Amino acid sequence: MDVIQDIIVYYSQNAGYVWEQFYRHFLMSAYGVLFAAIVAIPLGILIARHHKLSTWVISLANIIQTIPALAMLAVLMLVMGLGTNTVVFSLFLYSLLPIIKNTYTGIRNVDHALLESGKAMGMTKFQVLRMVELPLAMSVIMAGLRTALVITIGIATIGTFIGAGGLGDIILRGTNATDGTAIILAGAIPTALMAVIADIVMGYLEKKLSPNKKRKCTQHQQQAT
Amino acid sequence: MKKKNSFVLILTVAFTMLLSGCSLPGLSGPAKNTVAVGTLGTSESQIMGNIVRLMIEHYSDAQVEMVNNLGSSIVQHQAMLNGDIDISATRYTGTDLAGALAMEPEKDPEKALEIVQREFQEQFDQTWFDSYGFANSYAFTVTSELAEKHNLETVSDLEPLVDDLKLGVDNSWLKRKGDGYEGFVAEYGFEFGETFPMQVGLVYQAAANGKMDVVLAYTTDGRIKAFDLKVLEDDKRFFPPYDTSLVARNDVLKQHPELEDILQKLSGKISTEKMQELNYEADGKMKEPSVIAKEFLEEHDYFE
Repeated sequence: MDVIQDIIVYYSQNAGYVWEQFYRHFLMSAYGVLFAAIVAIPLGILIARHHKLSTWVISLANIIQTIPALAMLAVLMLVMGLGTNTVVFSLFLYSLLPIIKNTYTGIRNVDHALLESGKAMGMTKFQVLRMVELPLAMSVIMAGLRTALVITIGIATIGTFIGAGGLGDIILRGTNATDGTAIILAGAIPTALMAVIADIVMGYLEKKLSPNKKRKCTQHQQQAT
Repeated sequence: MKKKNSFVLILTVAFTMLLSGCSLPGLSGPAKNTVAVGTLGTSESQIMGNIVRLMIEHYSDAQVEMVNNLGSSIVQHQAMLNGDIDISATRYTGTDLAGALAMEPEKDPEKALEIVQREFQEQFDQTWFDSYGFANSYAFTVTSELAEKHNLETVSDLEPLVDDLKLGVDNSWLKRKGDGYEGFVAEYGFEFGETFPMQVGLVYQAAANGKMDVVLAYTTDGRIKAFDLKVLEDDKRFFPPYDTSLVARNDVLKQHPELEDILQKLSGKISTEKMQELNYEADGKMKEPSVIAKEFLEEHDYFE
């Protein structure tokens, strides 16, 4: 019970600071995923077209994923120096795999008949991509972004070791303090909360974008009329 | 095809931004007009770092970026040389004489400060400011009760009682060369009855509980004040001085000419007792260093 009271005291004394770090933490994760999406979605589409490339690209992304986060940060730090940009870059690397894989799977799983009918209607390749493939694959791609965001929120915590700030700062300070249990929890709880909320929000978006649901909706509307 | 081109454009812009070290919106990065302040992982260093940040933000237009939790003085030094940080918030004369400069320890605090100020200017093109006014060194510490009972003021006063005293110290100090226990015995000419190595964080509690009679503490630790302990004066100047200053790179001082005056305002302003208080706010009362720094500066009107 004491710990809970300590946490409350901590938040009341440092509310502004915690919010600042929370925001910073979220921005780092979001930028990492955003940049990864800019690169990985086109790459996923590309390897879905050129099947032979896919094994290479996916195994490369797999290899990146296996590097321990602390080692990745340390190596990147030597090249890019201290600070947030290094963390954002490493989060970018960790986000690549889930997004590439999901984009690839999503595009590959689009029903062949639909592609053919699109072509038969005289659509160009780009139109088929934009009007048929992407909408149908969107929920799977969103699932990739969702996984990536949850991963990066976790990894961003260790950004504190290279001076990037974020909620990891609070946790690390707790480990240095004499009786830091409350401080550690005060940093860990918002981190976990952020990951859970991100997961729920992205899950909601994923459902919204799911083609099955849309079809059901239109069916309902048709029945209603 | 037009869409594809704009896509490639966004991609290149985003990447060059990231790699060229431009700051992303919302995250201040090491951009050209920001001053990066580096601190250690200790509360003391982070409090001072935040004081430096708030002073700069209060008196000038420069943006300040904090780089916290650097591992040690050597890491701070490397980061300064690489240009990752522009100001180190806390540097200790004794540490850097032995570390960055690899010179013989100097026991006289003023001489030590003089040496580091001269050498850092010459060797690294960095300015070592005058001390904040506090020193974080080792000190023999007893409970106020014991001090009153035996009228203890200096370490030499311990000599008549020494056979019955239990000494609690940091794990590494007993075996350390130079300013370790061996050196201490040679300098002061007496040994404690019993010695108990422990983690340095535990010595304060041990002294307060009466489990130890004398402990070797850090002089700025907040628990000295909180547990009503008394620091004994090192009358033979056995421990090297650890006066605390900030160090700034000269090119930053040139780029922001107003910085030097602003930072100079801090010298001599914070006593060891004041630093104990500030540290206790962080370690004992769970306030964040940035909050403590703000309260402290507001209380003193930013040293107007």
